[in-house]
Amino acid sequence: MGLKQYLKNIWEAVYTIALGMKITARYGIDPSEEITQQYPEEKRQPAERFRGFLHNDVPRCIACTMCAKTCPVDCIEIEFVTGEDKKRKLTRFDINIGRCMYCGLCVEVCPTKCLTHTDGYEKASLSRGELILHFVEPASAEEEEAQEKEAEPEPAPAGAAPAENPSGKEPEGTGGEN
Amino acid sequence: MDSAVAFLTSKIPFLASLPFWVVAFLVMLVVALVILGFALTYEGIATYIERKVAADIQVRIGPNRVGPNGWFQFIADGVKLLMKEDLIPAKADKFLFVLAPYLVFVGSFAAFVVVPFGISLIAADLNIGVYYVMAVTSLVVIGILLAGWGSNNKWALLGGMRAAAQIVSYEVPVGMALLPAVILAGSLSLQEIIRSQGGYLGIFGWNIFHNPFTFFSFFLYFTAALAETNRTPFDIPEAESELVAGYHVEYSGIRFAFFFMAEYGDMFVVCALAAALYLGGWQVPFVDVSGLSPLLANLLSLGVFLAKVIALILVMMWVRWTLPRLRVDQLMRMSWKYLVPLTFVNVLGVSVWVLAFDGKGIPALVMSLLGR
Amino acid sequence: MEIERLPESDELLINMGPQHPSTHGVLRILLRTDGELVTGAKPDIGYLHRSLEKIAERVTYAQFMPFTDRLDYLAAANCNCAYAWAVEKLAGIEVPERAEYIRVIVCELNRIASHLIAFGAFTADMGAFTPFLYGIRERERINDLFEMICGNRLTYNYARIGGVSHDLPDGFLDELKDFLDYFEPKIDEYNQLISYNKIFVHRLANVAVVSKEDAIAYGLVGPNLRGSGVKWDLRKDEPYSVYDRFEFDVPVGFGEKGTVGDAFDRYMVRIREMKESVKILRQAIEQIPDGPVMAKVPRVFKPGPGEVYFRAENPRGELGFYIVSKGGTSPYRLKIRTGSFTALTIFDKVARGHLIADIIALIGSFDIVLPEIDR
Repeated sequence: MGLKQYLKNIWEAVYTIALGMKITARYGIDPSEEITQQYPEEKRQPAERFRGFLHNDVPRCIACTMCAKTCPVDCIEIEFVTGEDKKRKLTRFDINIGRCMYCGLCVEVCPTKCLTHTDGYEKASLSRGELILHFVEPASAEEEEAQEKEAEPEPAPAGAAPAENPSGKEPEGTGGEN
Repeated sequence: MDSAVAFLTSKIPFLASLPFWVVAFLVMLVVALVILGFALTYEGIATYIERKVAADIQVRIGPNRVGPNGWFQFIADGVKLLMKEDLIPAKADKFLFVLAPYLVFVGSFAAFVVVPFGISLIAADLNIGVYYVMAVTSLVVIGILLAGWGSNNKWALLGGMRAAAQIVSYEVPVGMALLPAVILAGSLSLQEIIRSQGGYLGIFGWNIFHNPFTFFSFFLYFTAALAETNRTPFDIPEAESELVAGYHVEYSGIRFAFFFMAEYGDMFVVCALAAALYLGGWQVPFVDVSGLSPLLANLLSLGVFLAKVIALILVMMWVRWTLPRLRVDQLMRMSWKYLVPLTFVNVLGVSVWVLAFDGKGIPALVMSLLGR
Repeated sequence: MEIERLPESDELLINMGPQHPSTHGVLRILLRTDGELVTGAKPDIGYLHRSLEKIAERVTYAQFMPFTDRLDYLAAANCNCAYAWAVEKLAGIEVPERAEYIRVIVCELNRIASHLIAFGAFTADMGAFTPFLYGIRERERINDLFEMICGNRLTYNYARIGGVSHDLPDGFLDELKDFLDYFEPKIDEYNQLISYNKIFVHRLANVAVVSKEDAIAYGLVGPNLRGSGVKWDLRKDEPYSVYDRFEFDVPVGFGEKGTVGDAFDRYMVRIREMKESVKILRQAIEQIPDGPVMAKVPRVFKPGPGEVYFRAENPRGELGFYIVSKGGTSPYRLKIRTGSFTALTIFDKVARGHLIADIIALIGSFDIVLPEIDR
């Protein structure tokens, strides 16, 4: 290594380091470059097609079980009874969002478009049971059978794990297995 | 020491009744506690600043939850480290494992003794100040080596070995890069060296502007000092992405905090040394602080000194968050093939300069040419 | 997992991983070292095995699509499309032209995102953490674009057998153009910041050299192969989809700072490929036709008996799907061949004689993704 090369090495090192440090200094000094969002306070609006938690609009659901059949991870469980007018009535529509991988295949096959993605993505719980969304209150569905009216479409409030389906009556059809 | 004791005993009669060594011990204790308090506070704030600097460079915000703008983050960090489980690996050499963090911390903290914070704010103005710093900071390497060996972990061992090789080889360029300033002042006492940099020239009285050799010496010292403190781009003993965490991979809780504080303490010491030797220490440009009242002079010089040191520390952080890490063999090559020869050339150059121009620097020569 | 060691020697056996900051996931490497010098290295894989190939035999063709997201999570769109192309080749489905263009757009966009992570993770491995965050910043905008198209930011599940799930949303092409204008200068900034940094160059030049012959003999693919100076890119040499309609170069390593096929060459190939992807994207924006995005595919999709092998150029090299159909709704057998896996086969050979720090450079420059290796 000649002296020329030796000095050139030093020069190259100093020059390239200075170039890099110029860039970091520019970002360091300019506060407008900061891109962090203060999450719990500021939230970005999810895109229109955002695939968040699933939601089933129960009154429109015809219990065709297409969603449960197409789900690759079997996270949707459907139980229903067939009424006198051959109409199916949900007695159970559970989505295990702990298992769901948000692929959106179920939403695509839904014939009545009652199963949709919401833009919700925040859910933390202390037990796995709370991650199962119950769209049909098991008890109320049987009560309201007489009134020929569906249960309320609202998802069960998080934290209040509803009682297990009283297995007094065997459902006539079950979805979910494939 | 003697004068301080005499001063106190004359003011406080109670102390006069005590034997000399008791009073002397008390004075030492108080001074040590004051410096320890300063060092710990500085280290806390430095970690906060480091995180903020990193965040700014990386287009993030950084800590902003604890206290206004996150200023109390370091307290939260400290509390967290204190409360963490103190873990000693089952197969570790327990004695060495426990001893190592203290050695590292003592090595860095002891150097604070000769740091000239102000015109008379210095714990001990040793006449061998520069070499005292060199000597006690070398203690760090023993601690790191013990930590690496005592952990009984292969990564830690590799880190400890790397650290030993690195710190030992970088002692040479660091020492050599300090010599030019010592030659110019003709003294190893830090206060002496700083006093020699004052005068009518303002910032051009600083050693860094004395002649080209001292100018390069400053940068060489700064580079070598980065390596001494194991900071990126020379952080191969820790080498997060290679050795996981190097020598302190097995440490947790407050023992880890000791290593951490030692790193930041080291940073302060090397930056203080750089400021004192080349950037005029506590000298305020164009103001003769010795002419002011003692309180004002000390406050002013303290502020100026800290400003200089913190500026250098910020540069260290800036370097850390920009550059990649050298490889272990490249690190050695850089020391022995680049830094050592260049620092030797500088020492030689400064010596010749002092002989040739009777110790006058370029600014002084220019001024004398201009007829002042 | 054994690695031979001379008895009575001073050599040290070190376990690198599966928990190690820079093994890019859960790769375990058994290192035999003499001090810092590595005298042997054996990669140990399988910590992330999810038996994707077996799952494929249990689910229908369409249901397997989300699983391809999990194959290479950094380039999910590429995996989606490669699988879709493979099945379409098997069943002989003609895909609408617009869908092909959309696939090219998402593939190239995802290639940029993947190379950004490769760039960032590699520089972070080398000790410079800041470029990683710059890379993430740009990738975040790509994720936003993907969220616009398909609603997810990482596992897109966008391609469908016979097309894509949604047409491009309104205003997407303008957003994409904005992004490209923003992104292109950033590549030069990366080069200034780190690529040509003397320390960085020294860390990479002449390190982990894979010769042209070795690269071919060990079956390296993608940027790793091109880094060794072999000009082989499926998009050019075996054009699929509409790739033959675009003008772009295939960057190869040419020993810019050292030997051909060293870590620096592989790194620069990725940096340059980002520029080429930008070129392709700009052309695709100009050329994209109107029309449907989904071919007519029966709801119960049953391709006839047969077998097919299709490979596509992924960010990590060729991703091959070998599908055997016996006429059912799910594949009889599905075999996936990935680029990261072949890169690991040459690991031991290249690693010998390097320092521990170079092993990190080696892993980083191969840009392996563990889910793709373990499948």
